[in-house]
Amino acid sequence: MRYPGRCPRRGGRRSGGAVRSVASAQLVAAVRRITQVLERVLDPETAGWATLVGLTAGQGLGFNRAFILRVQGERLEGWLGVGPRTREEGAALWHELRENGVNPISTLERPDPAVVAAEQRRLAPLLRALSCPLDETSSRWHRPLVARRGHPLAAVRRWLAQLGSHSLAVIPVIGAGELWGVVLADNFITHRPILPAVLEAASTLVQALRTAVERIELLQRLSEEERRRISAEHAAAMLETARTLAHDLKNPLTVAGGLASEVAAVVGEQGGEFSPQLAAIVDAIRHAEARLAELVAGLASRATGTPLSAVDVTATVERVLSTFRPLAARRGIRFEVENQLAGELAAAVPSYLERCIENLVGNAIEALERAQVGDGCVRLALSADRTTVRVDVADNGPPLPPTMQTDPFSGGVTTREGGGGLGLASVRRLTDAMEGRVEYDESMAGWVRFSIFLRRWV
Amino acid sequence: MKGARLLFIDDETGLLDLYETAFSREGYQVCRAATLEEARRLLEAGNIDLVVLDIRLAEESGLALLHEIKGRTPGLPVVLSTAYARYQDDFSSWLADAYVVKSSDLTELKRTVRACLEPRR
Repeated sequence: MRYPGRCPRRGGRRSGGAVRSVASAQLVAAVRRITQVLERVLDPETAGWATLVGLTAGQGLGFNRAFILRVQGERLEGWLGVGPRTREEGAALWHELRENGVNPISTLERPDPAVVAAEQRRLAPLLRALSCPLDETSSRWHRPLVARRGHPLAAVRRWLAQLGSHSLAVIPVIGAGELWGVVLADNFITHRPILPAVLEAASTLVQALRTAVERIELLQRLSEEERRRISAEHAAAMLETARTLAHDLKNPLTVAGGLASEVAAVVGEQGGEFSPQLAAIVDAIRHAEARLAELVAGLASRATGTPLSAVDVTATVERVLSTFRPLAARRGIRFEVENQLAGELAAAVPSYLERCIENLVGNAIEALERAQVGDGCVRLALSADRTTVRVDVADNGPPLPPTMQTDPFSGGVTTREGGGGLGLASVRRLTDAMEGRVEYDESMAGWVRFSIFLRRWV
Repeated sequence: MKGARLLFIDDETGLLDLYETAFSREGYQVCRAATLEEARRLLEAGNIDLVVLDIRLAEESGLALLHEIKGRTPGLPVVLSTAYARYQDDFSSWLADAYVVKSSDLTELKRTVRACLEPRR
């Protein structure tokens, strides 16, 4: 069984007024029914599928077919579709539907996964062909439209051509002031005109889809955050216990081994007869120390997950800079801060983030001082996009030595030309622990830049 | 280098005994403090050439003292001492001159102390 687009209605014609009122009542009922479903579904694909079935079913909005494209990065990517690709396919699909007595709209809430998967496999090449770069669309889209040949936007002209449509409903989906996706629908077989009321109903459905998907994704994120938090709390408790235990065991071992070693050295110098036995004790204690260190390392590596919280990056940067300002002033180094954040928060561990920025600013100051740069400057840039908060720390000091440029974060200690700095490896470990990353580049001429990327807190 | 005054700060008196034995044999003058209060007193008295500081003290973090020392006497070398290498992430190591992982084998600590004292003398 397949779910095609709308099956052309059979039967005699009714008067224009009666048709309009029946159609209008049917639209309202369809929109109400589908939006109620969208309020309950718990995964984005089911929400998308329900919307497409609502747009195309005979008891829905009655389009022949419909497609959803979602913004992913810098592109609009084909996501889901319902309906035939050709007239022949449409005839076959609708015939099958009638033969099997299937009413697609009755399966909105619980679609058969096999049917959905088969439909997406069938439409995958067409969905790929409909994908396009975002810059071919319009950032000023706010209203749905019915597009025809010769449309001014390149993307719309291509969609019309790809679909062989004479008339195509193009419904931009706007979320938080930005383009979230586009829904395309047409009547390429029946050529039924796309009336304003149908377009408006379709737009209402599509906005309900956007709300549903955002709600579902938010719930998924919250659920994932909760799972991570619990896991991280367990891991942190385990690691802390291990550290305390290891610390308490290590110190007596160090003392015993160290003193035995000292005594062995003295006895050895004096040619004492217990020297070999003392050496064996020293060896045994060092072996125990090594085993203990391995145990702690193993426990620490198993303690995955770190509890993240909403961190005000602006305040963190200010705090770090305030501690460095006297030092920088004494060394004739100035700070520049370009802050494009407008209240966005980062998902981070406050102390980790502070240490990362401290390390990068400290290294920058050290490099400038060692190289005796006349007009030394450390420039911090804070910015965010929909998913990420970014902190750049750049300085106009000497570049990293070529041997370090491929992976400056791999070693334990950084060595800028003529200077020393600790902690780039530490910055990477800390950003990794916060599920972020740190990058290095010298793309700005005369500047060495490190960039921390963290997930934006939602 | 010999004869330099080293201040060891650790809440384990056993470790302080070990440091005293080992570093005295190397020809250093060894001062010891089991608390930060004691350490501050010795530092105020002056004549300390290098500090070996445990990060994890019973009463408070050694980091607080590290910040104090570097604020007052930036030229005084401080070697951080920690139980395990992974603890390196737990402190602002950029302020310290070096850090070592505690071990019954004091070779690394002795080498680090020598290296930190060399530029000053």
